[in-house]
Amino acid sequence: MSPARRLVQIGLPKLAAWLLLAFLFVPILVVIPVSLTDRDYLSLPQDGVSLAHYAALLDWRAGWLSSMATSLAIALASSVLATAVAAAYAIGAFVYVGRWPSLLRVVLLSPLIVPPIIYAVGMVKLWSRFGLLDSWIGVTIVHVMLAIPLAVLAIGASLSNLDPRMVQAARSLGARPPTIFLRVILPNLDSGIGAGAILAFITSWDEITVTLFITGRRIVTLPRRIWTSIADSVDPALAAIASALLLATLLALLIRLFVFERGGSLSRSNPKIAAKGTSS
Amino acid sequence: MTRFQRWALALTVPAAVLAIGLYVFPIFQVLALSFLEPKPGFGNYVSLFGNAAIGRVVRTTIIVSVLTTAITVVLAYVVAFAIVQMPRGRRRVALFLVMVPFWISVLVRAFSWITILRRNGVLNTVLTEAGAISEPLDLVYNQFGVIVGMVHYMMPFAILLLVANLGDIDRRIIQAARSLGAQPATVFWRVWLPLSLPGVSIATLFTIIFSLGFLVTPAILGAGRVLMIAEYLSVQISSTLRWGVATALSTLMLVAVGLLVAGAMRHPAMRAAFGGGRA
Repeated sequence: MSPARRLVQIGLPKLAAWLLLAFLFVPILVVIPVSLTDRDYLSLPQDGVSLAHYAALLDWRAGWLSSMATSLAIALASSVLATAVAAAYAIGAFVYVGRWPSLLRVVLLSPLIVPPIIYAVGMVKLWSRFGLLDSWIGVTIVHVMLAIPLAVLAIGASLSNLDPRMVQAARSLGARPPTIFLRVILPNLDSGIGAGAILAFITSWDEITVTLFITGRRIVTLPRRIWTSIADSVDPALAAIASALLLATLLALLIRLFVFERGGSLSRSNPKIAAKGTSS
Repeated sequence: MTRFQRWALALTVPAAVLAIGLYVFPIFQVLALSFLEPKPGFGNYVSLFGNAAIGRVVRTTIIVSVLTTAITVVLAYVVAFAIVQMPRGRRRVALFLVMVPFWISVLVRAFSWITILRRNGVLNTVLTEAGAISEPLDLVYNQFGVIVGMVHYMMPFAILLLVANLGDIDRRIIQAARSLGAQPATVFWRVWLPLSLPGVSIATLFTIIFSLGFLVTPAILGAGRVLMIAEYLSVQISSTLRWGVATALSTLMLVAVGLLVAGAMRHPAMRAAFGGGRA
């Protein structure tokens, strides 16, 4: 093969791939310089950088802090509930193999495929009947339902590594069912439950589509506040909150990269791959 | 059934109660309301098909979704194909560059694109100062901006699906093709591409389904000028309260998604890729 053809067939696709990776990564970074602007409108810094917009975030009256607290509370509550329900289901389905648990699995995972907008329409109707629109419990329940699929996938993945002979051994030694579930199966699932809880937390923390429909003035989660302020104005405080979220994500991913995942494996076991649409 | 199995079954009950009462029921209610509200019959569907405004919304949704899906899958394939052939260190860097946008909130990403593409945004400022343009370009609040934002949202997802699939392809087949004298282009078109079709189909399926029901990015980057179904529904529900039309449109979307999934599941390779017997 001639060098020129080699360049076209091998070099060009590689170059295109790196350019596309830059297209994915670089535009997100733009919020950082904009958040440091010295003007009070969205712009790049002109006569120097300023942290004024970060300071504005910390003012309680601006509402960003209270929205963060709201999101944090709802995300913690729905993460705990979703993980508990998902773990109970996953363990039950692991022991009781049959038609019913696998049918239920399809139903539990369906929020990954069914557009959240349809669920939103349904929940507005249901919550308005029960008077749960714009309530803590209403939002938390919806977030639990949307977080369960990821928790089921994460816990299911760690259950599939569990040796069924361990359960058989416990049973033949006469362990009672609660003992088997709590003392034999559960302790082997800590990594799956941890991953499920984190994924559930992130799902709730990021959820916007359904939340937008079922909340009003009282419950303003962080995504809802960001949504409203993008619609209302183009305030550089938005760039500051976006940068803060970006830095938190970068930090979490770097920790994962260097602490938990030393290999460069083609990660297959990432349940969020099968899932991201829930937050759109 | 043994006592142990009864216990196991009992553990699945909370999930079942929640899923049926608070997920399946509200969605069935949407389906039911589309035939009942405001009066029983097919009236909502008749007005759905007779209404020019809704027709436009549906057409926009389909055009934007199909374009987004086509662009996303082709570009994601280019990236995924390069990633699976990279040496380990470079692959980690590349996957990191995919993971960051993958995990960032959709709102932050839409906001970044607003900042970049606005009339007096970063891109227009840079291009004007470089002397490349004299008038700012209209890059956002139109179909172009919506598609850029949607492709950017969908690509990491499609790349990760494709990388998982391409990584599973047996490299000995590629080596065999090469050692039998196939040119690189032949190896790609006749070996890599056919073997990666299940991955391509899954990436296509997920991208089109997510696009059809997408609210955030089209709403922010389209600013009402590129009205897609999800945003139209939000207007129907929150301001005009036309439940009949909204639920009928939701039902149509659900049917479309169901048909896409059912169609995909007809192929054995897709069933296998979705995890086989479990579903």
